Parts: sequence; C-alpha cells; structure tokens
Amino acid sequence: MSAPTTRERRDGHNTGAHNTGGHSTGGRLPPPPTPQQRALRWIAGGSVLLALVAASSIGLDLPTLIAGGEDVASLVERMLPPRVDDPARIAALTLDTVLMAFLGTVLATFLSVPLAFLAARTTTPHPAVATVARGLITFCRAVPDLVFAVLFVRALGLGVLPGVLALALHSVGMLGKLFADAIEDADPGPREAVRSVGVGPLRELLNGVVPQVVPAWVSAFVYRVDINLRTSVVLGFVGAGGIGFALQDALRGLVYPKALGIVAIILVVVAAMELLSMAVRRALLAPRNPRFERDRVVRFLSGGAALALTVFAFVRLGIDPLALVTSVPDLLAVAGRTFPPDLTSLGPVLWEALLQTLAIGLVATAIGVVLSLPLGLLAARNVAPHPVVHAAARTTVLVVRAVPELVLAVILVAAVGLGPVAGAIALGIGSIGFLGKLVADAVEEIPAGPAEAVRSVGGGWWKVLFAAVLPQSLPSVVGSTLYLLDVNIRTSTILGIVGAGGVGFLLFEAVRTLRFEVVGGIVLLVFVVVLLIERLSGWIRAQLT
Amino acid sequence: MQPDTVQPDTVQPDNVRPDTVQPDAGEPVVRVRGLTKEFDGTTALAGVDLDVARGELLVLLGLSGSGKSTLLRCLNGLHRPTAGEVTVAGTRVDRASGRELRRLRTEVGFVFQQFNLVGRLTCLENVLIGGLGRVRGPRYGVTTYSRAMREEALAHIERVGLADHAYQRADTLSGGQQQRVAIARTLMQRPQLVLADEPVASLDPENSGAVMDLLVRVCAEEGLTVVCTLHQVDLALGWAHRLVGLRSGEKVLDRPAAGLTRDDAMSIYRHVEPAEALA
Ligand SMILES: Nc1ncnc2c1ncn2[C@@H]1O[C@H](COP(=O)(O)OP(=O)(O)O)[C@@H](O)[C@H]1O
Ligand SMILES: [Mg+2]
Repeated sequence: MSAPTTRERRDGHNTGAHNTGGHSTGGRLPPPPTPQQRALRWIAGGSVLLALVAASSIGLDLPTLIAGGEDVASLVERMLPPRVDDPARIAALTLDTVLMAFLGTVLATFLSVPLAFLAARTTTPHPAVATVARGLITFCRAVPDLVFAVLFVRALGLGVLPGVLALALHSVGMLGKLFADAIEDADPGPREAVRSVGVGPLRELLNGVVPQVVPAWVSAFVYRVDINLRTSVVLGFVGAGGIGFALQDALRGLVYPKALGIVAIILVVVAAMELLSMAVRRALLAPRNPRFERDRVVRFLSGGAALALTVFAFVRLGIDPLALVTSVPDLLAVAGRTFPPDLTSLGPVLWEALLQTLAIGLVATAIGVVLSLPLGLLAARNVAPHPVVHAAARTTVLVVRAVPELVLAVILVAAVGLGPVAGAIALGIGSIGFLGKLVADAVEEIPAGPAEAVRSVGGGWWKVLFAAVLPQSLPSVVGSTLYLLDVNIRTSTILGIVGAGGVGFLLFEAVRTLRFEVVGGIVLLVFVVVLLIERLSGWIRAQLT
Repeated sequence: MQPDTVQPDTVQPDNVRPDTVQPDAGEPVVRVRGLTKEFDGTTALAGVDLDVARGELLVLLGLSGSGKSTLLRCLNGLHRPTAGEVTVAGTRVDRASGRELRRLRTEVGFVFQQFNLVGRLTCLENVLIGGLGRVRGPRYGVTTYSRAMREEALAHIERVGLADHAYQRADTLSGGQQQRVAIARTLMQRPQLVLADEPVASLDPENSGAVMDLLVRVCAEEGLTVVCTLHQVDLALGWAHRLVGLRSGEKVLDRPAAGLTRDDAMSIYRHVEPAEALA
C-alpha cells in the first residue's frame, strides 16, 4: 500500500533527471530543502538527542558496548561447534512449533472472518457494531502475543493449547484488520448483482463478496503464519509449548553448543517459511490465468492440504477441538480477575519500567539505523563497490531476518546478562533484517540520473553517495524507520519475559505471583502505549507523503 | 416455462394505458403510480406513473442524471421509494418486507451496465449465481449446485454463444462476452421481467448491436417483459415497443415506437419546458 506512494514521490522528485536520460550530463542535483524537509531535519536531530539520552538511561555506553561485544564473542566461542543432541526430540518439537503457528493462524482466521464483516464499513449491520468490532481487533493487536500466552498458561496450565490460543487471539489484530480492509475494497457491483437475484444478506456476502476477497485473505493468512512462526519458537519460554522450551533448557543448563544447534534449526525453519510464504503470495498476485482447470486444481489441492494440516495439527498437538470452547470460561475467569486494573500498587517501579521499555525501543531503533544504513548501502547492487560485497551484505541481512528478535534477546541475555542492554542490542541487531533490506531495496530503486550527474562533474564514490544516493532514498528510509520504532517498542514490552528489560518483567512477575489486577494495569498501559506509538508513527509517516 | 403469476385484486385492468402497443393486453407486469425518490436533497424521481404490459419491450430514454437508473432500481427494490406505489408482478414493492422483496427479485432479472460479474469466478459459476434465488442454503463453487442446475446453466451459456468459455474466468473475457454471461445469469433466474440499465453503454458500437440483439431475441423467445434504459435512440427505435422519456425525474414522453420518428425521440434531450427553465 505504501510502496506506490513512495515510488510516486521518488519519481516526482526526479523527473528532471529522468528526462535528461541515463547518460546525459545535464542532470540536476537534488533541489534545496523545502520547509518540510527542514522540519524533518529538526525532528531527526531531536531524535538523535533523545536516543542518546535513552541510551544513557538504560546504561548503554561505548565501554558497555565494547564489553558486550567481547561477551558475545566469547559466548559464540563457547557455542561452537553447534550440535543437536537428541535429533528425534528436537525434530518433534520443531514440528510442534510449526503446527502451533499454523493452527493459531487457522483459529485466528475463523475468529477474524465474522469480526471483519462486522467491522467493515460496507458490510456492518450498524456503524456502532463496526466501532465495537474494530475496537476488539485493535485490542487484539495491541496486546502482545506473549502477554496473552503468559496469561493463558496461568489459566489453562502448561502446554501447547495456551500457546496456540495466544497466537490466535493476537493474530486477530492483524487478520481482522486486513480482512476488513479487503472487504471494504471489494467491488460493490457483483454484490448488488447477487442481491438482485433474490438472496438474503448472508448469501449475498458469501457469493458476492467472499470470492473477491479470497486472494487478499489467503495472502494475509500465509503472511501471518510466517509471523507466528517467529513467535511460536519462543512460546516455550513461558511454558506454552514448542521448541523454545528446549532452547531455554539448553541455555539454563549452559549447554551452549546445543543452544546454537537449536537456534540454527529455528533459523532454517523460519527462513524456509518466509520463502514459502513469499512464493505463495507471489503466486496469488500472478497475472490471472484464463484457463480455469489449472487454477481449480491448485485451489483444490492447497485447500485440501490446509485442511489436512489443520486436522493433523489437532491430532499431533493433542488438542481436543472441544477444548477450544470449554477453555473459554477459564480464560474469561482469568481475564475477569484483571479487573479492576491496578496501576498504583507497584508504585514508581511501574513507570520506570515503562520508560525503560520506551528507551529500549528508541535505542534499538537508533542502533538499527546506524547498522542498517551502511549495510543496506553495501547490499544495494548499484552502490556496492564489488559484487562480492553486495552478496555478503545481502546474505547478512537475510540471515538476521531469519532470527526472531526474542531468540536474539535470549542469546544476548546469556552473553551480557539480564537487563535492558541485552534487549536493546538484540532488537537493534534484529532491526537490520527489516531496515537493512528496505534501505537496500530503496537505494536499488532510485533512478541512475543524479548519480550519473555527480559522477560526470568528477565526483567519486563517497561524493556520489552523499550528493545523490542518500538524499534520494531518505524519504522512504525515514518512513520505514518510524515503522521500525513502532515495531520495536511493541516488542520491547515483552522483552522482560526473557529477562531483557522493560515492563514485560513486571508483567511476568505479576502473573507468577497471581497479582492479576496488576497484570490488568500493565496490559492496559502496554495497550495504551502501543496504540499511541502506532498512531504517532502513522501520523508522522502520513505527513511525509 | 413461465408460471402464471397471480394478480392480486388491487391491480385494476383499466389502469393500462389505451394508447400503448399491447403485445398482451392482460394486466400490467409493472404498475407505478406517483413514484417519487429523493436522495438527501436531490429529487431523482418526481411523481412518475408507468405501466408495462406483459411481453412488452419498453425503452427508457433520458439524459444522464434524469432518473432512469433510479426508476429501474425502485422496480426491484434496490431503492425504496420516498413516495408512490410500485407494483411488480403483483407485489407491492414499496411496502414489501425483506422476504417478499427477495421472492420478487427471484423473478426479476437485472442486467447492469458494468456487467457486475464476479471476475475471479468462471462463467459457469457466475451463471449459477442466477439460480441462487430458488435454492436454499449456502452454495460456493460449481460442485455445490445440483447436476440439473449445472446443465441448465451450461445451456444458457451455450444460448448466448459462449459454450467454449464456460470454464474460463469471467475477467478474462471481453466486455461484450461478459455482458453475454450476465444475460445468461439473468436467464438462469427464469425471470418474468428483465430490467436492463444501459446494458450496452460500456461496449463498442459493433458489440452494442450484437448484445442488444441477443438480449431482445432471448427475451422475445421467452416472452419476457423488458424495461431497458438506453442512450442510443436508434437502437431504441429499432427494438422497442414503446419509448418513455425522462427529464429531471419526470416523464416527458410515453409513446409507442411505431410511427415515432427519430426527431420525436430526440426532443426529450433538447427541449426544455419554459416553466422548467424558469424554476
Ligand atoms: N445512491 C444515490 N445517492 C444520492 N444521489 C443519487 C443516488 N443515485 C442517484 N442519485 C441522483 O439521482 C439523480 C438521478 O440519477 P440516476 O437515476 O442515476 O440517473 P440516470 O440513470 O438517468 O443517469 C441524479 O441527480 C443522481 O445524482
Ligand atoms: Mg444510470
């Protein structure tokens, strides 16, 4: 959705350069800053300052960083060579993890479809219903999956069921929104045609709307499975099943080579899932196929596979489908005990933890930018000084992308000890996977004109970089950075669950000690913070375009 | 094929206008009295009276914005009238309940300017949708319809000349072909009345003629009543039994096509009543 707008903006910005043609020497340098760009510079300056303050507030300074680097190096040394002690058990846990991610997404889909119809402006029975449905969806999105998991484990006991339910509920936040957006984008014409053959409202939606939105829904589903897999690998840390349990075990027992073996497996599985998800989504976007038969076979087979996998997941994970219903009263009971939310009994500790959460998110984003800019530039084909550099940088980005942030956080906690520094560095490194790729893609997309122009007046590599490449890719990089900040603050609210600082630790403690009103208070705070940051980042990004 | 509709006592035969060509002089399929439709502020229809006899092919002419689409939509209840009476096939559309409206719509086909096919579905699936009104329960995909219905749908597809394209996605067809599929979908409804809203306005002239030809031919063969809005006066004069002109939501022309000249018909576009100009 944002891609076309960035492209338009870039194109508009460079029409002069385009017109002069690739090899002409008459290209223009980027124009002088507009007032808006000047304001952006002030914001950028302010953010740098804020990030520095935040860094010092969580005790992250240069000596700590250097010492941290040494700690990580020594940990990695102790981790090598990676090994898998009990392949059968690890394989089984890995399979469970993948199935949990899948099943959680399937359940989320079942919850999201009716909610989306109620929430979509074009299909809701009443605007008030739409508001309530949208509110529910937003709530699911703003409460992190691990927070749901911690609570559900309390309510239902250790096992995969609370993990699956947590993934499902949080995923409703994304799927419900994307499903509803797709419904609102659907062409009203076919729907009217179905209505005018004389069917009631339900069949009007089924036959007039659903066929139109299926591709968007499937795409969102597949994307969400990919995201949920990244979370499902750490669910074991809170007792909600899967491979994370084995990882935690290995780290607790200081069996580092085993831990690295598990991390490597996670990495491979996550990367494979991302490739699969990308392939499916690309196939969905592929130009429509005039011959129906092949489409139908593909649809039939993939539908059958999804159904079979769902059944297999239930059987393999030992979840009684009825338990999905019978567990609801227990879940509601725990949810009920979080009322009324208690924001006071923890005193200033709560507010300090909240500030720390924000600081971690901010510092992590700053680290992410500092690391991603050079890496992303080197990963861009048109800037990298040598193809080997380009390949190496791209690979680094891809590998980091495959490591879930929380797994990184767990490793960093093992290396540098408990606390916000581990969390900030973990999220910062993790940001490369997102931002590094975006920088590289943005730079590769910029037209060659201005760079040619700088080169033609005798500018070298650095000069081309600063006079032509950076200014052109800046707007999209700033937009992505804001989005990254949003994501990082969201994640930093749960870092505490693995001991990496922030408000998540208090939450985990409150659940452990059964102080549910405090849990309610913290969830409420996380909800508000996530929502505010999301709105703020969205607003600033809207100002940029 | 056409079931005889029960005509309620409220419809009086003497409302049939004596000056119209009557392919069937029985009771009118459509009976409109004082129909007014307002959309917050704008008056789309202002007190329109209209009767359409069984088997009649009536063409509505008028500038864009004159209320043609609104009139058609009031006939199958896609719009609810602000005032006036609308009786279609014996059902009082203006005060029908949801259930009554749905029952009525199963007997009223609607052909849209933009075809309104579900692009991702095949022609066959789109045509089958036309039969949804007479089966119960959810249907999704060809296999959920009975064999008889599938065969009927294929027959309609063949009838509109698209037998080779039955299993092709609708959005891969040309505009003319898509409108043919829409006509097949309407036939699948086994309607007694067909409403067509500028069915050929999105097509090139050659396709316009062919599609209009098809629509008129199948409707005549089935003895269907047709109310069709058109832009092309020549097409209208060629096919219609009767022409009705609308201007600013009012009926300004209602005459049999026989004996009507092109200039007579064109007058509704050009002529402005002095009273209206002053208003
Ligand atoms: N759904 C609607 N909401 C508001 N105004 C409408 C709507 N549909 C039609 N109108 C208005 O009613 C008038 C008649 O429209 P329409 O029946 O579509 O004319 P035609 O089909 O002859 O072009 C126009 O002024 C149009 O703007
Ligand atoms: Mg119209």
